[in-house]
Amino acid sequence: MLRGVDLEVAAGEVVCLIGPSGSGKSTLLRCVNHLQPIAAGTVHVGGELIGHRRHGDALHELKPRQVARQRAGIGMVFQNFNLFPHLTVLENLVEAPVAVRRLRRADAEERARALVARVGLAGREGSYPRQLSGGQQQRIAIARALAMEPAVMLFDEPTSALDPELVGEVLGVMRDLAGTGMTMVVVTHEMGFAREAADRVVFLDEGRVVESGPPARLLADPEQARTRAFLDHVL
Amino acid sequence: MSESLLPLEAPVKDEPPPRVVPVRRTGQWASAAVVAFLAVFAVQSLATNDAMQWDVVGAYFTSKSIVRGLYMTLWLTGLTFVLGFLLGTVLAICRMSGNAVLRGAALGYIWLFRSTPLLVQLLVWFNIGALYPKLGLGIPWGPTFVQVDAKDLIGATTAAIIGLTVHEAALAAEIVRGGILGVDAGQTQAAQALGLSRFRTLRRIVLPQAMRTILPNAGNQIVSLLKSTTLVSVIGVGDVLYSAELIYGRNFLIIPLLLVATLWYLVVASLLSVGQFALERHYGRGSDERRPRRRTPHERRSLDPRPARLLRRDARAARRGPGGGGG
Repeated sequence: MLRGVDLEVAAGEVVCLIGPSGSGKSTLLRCVNHLQPIAAGTVHVGGELIGHRRHGDALHELKPRQVARQRAGIGMVFQNFNLFPHLTVLENLVEAPVAVRRLRRADAEERARALVARVGLAGREGSYPRQLSGGQQQRIAIARALAMEPAVMLFDEPTSALDPELVGEVLGVMRDLAGTGMTMVVVTHEMGFAREAADRVVFLDEGRVVESGPPARLLADPEQARTRAFLDHVL
Repeated sequence: MSESLLPLEAPVKDEPPPRVVPVRRTGQWASAAVVAFLAVFAVQSLATNDAMQWDVVGAYFTSKSIVRGLYMTLWLTGLTFVLGFLLGTVLAICRMSGNAVLRGAALGYIWLFRSTPLLVQLLVWFNIGALYPKLGLGIPWGPTFVQVDAKDLIGATTAAIIGLTVHEAALAAEIVRGGILGVDAGQTQAAQALGLSRFRTLRRIVLPQAMRTILPNAGNQIVSLLKSTTLVSVIGVGDVLYSAELIYGRNFLIIPLLLVATLWYLVVASLLSVGQFALERHYGRGSDERRPRRRTPHERRSLDPRPARLLRRDARAARRGPGGGGG
């Protein structure tokens, strides 16, 4: 799927991954938190090797418990939200901090309420996900990931499953988040968001990085013919 | 041009809109009449048949030994159901494990205990002494620390508990596995991405959602188990049926005493169904805002031309189906 991707994201940087479907954007994102095991190469987050332990020349796979600990520090937002439908909004946000971070439930709830308010949904703490619109669900999903106080946030096409009029509210939350200095890697088809919020846009095709650069340059005046062909289709 | 698209005549002022007359369901009424007639006939023939001896039924219904038997039936059903589903859940997890040995072992267990008759299993456990006269605790091929006679350790009740549990677990394993498979893979991924452990993911995220598909089948299973406990009367465990058999063995009032047992099974099975309904509602939370209000027969007839059976089926599907909450 991926063929020799070499990508570095600085702390606080917002990087948008763009490219045609099947280009490996989502796969690359899922490699970062080891949801997709890699066949070769290494992934580092905050200097720590993800999913493996180096032993001389060999990479040893980590135990599930150790991988889980690493994932706790990497937030992820899915295309289909994947909120837990049998839990209320508040329970969705409290579950992992209590189970993984060993927070006291009262403290976790207090933090969860603040996050729900931050994504503009104060008052909906007791709702079940099905009672919310798609845009609201995705905002809660972002809040759920933030509840773990991650160092990095990964977004896998966060607005692709939304009705067009709901895309704006989710992008708004993401823009605010980018403004707080959060490190973000975003797979997206929203070129408007990439242009405004990204520090860097990376164009992938057939499992390779074709080119990357600041959005103003890459989106307006790409160097590669393939990038230009793709942008002509989507812009 | 535009008139041809509007074939309806403009309503005349001051005239009420035409009334909708539902289609006449002659066949439905005729079949209902036949069924009602047969039901009245059956009830009347049973109620007035002297051989039923309703006075005897009344006299024995709450007699001491019948109630003791009922207690045994309930206790045996409850215990083996719980143990069976606990073991079945473990088996289901093994069956889906990445470890090929665990997978094979679970598959072998399910194959063996699902493919042999429960009655035979009960008889084998009851007669385990013939196969292993001495049961001991020790190291295989090594020393034995404690040893007892099998027939002392495994009496009729123990054999019944083991037999029912072991058989129930094989069936429960498949029910639980089906439920787990029905949960969207995205749920597991989201839980993993949050750093939840595999056990926590299963217990807090996957199993509660699997319960929605497990429960209707489990409800079936406990009613079936309740009736299967009658088999233990063969190895002399004093359940309701065995108590009834003992009594009619002495006084030959066979039909009324079988009726006493039957009525108790009906009562318990009905109570279990009520419990299942309540549990299903609990685990269905979050899947639907509220249950649709039940429409009156008149509303059903006038709003929807389909038969009531289909309406009820669709309402059920809407309550259960994961896609039902789209609106």
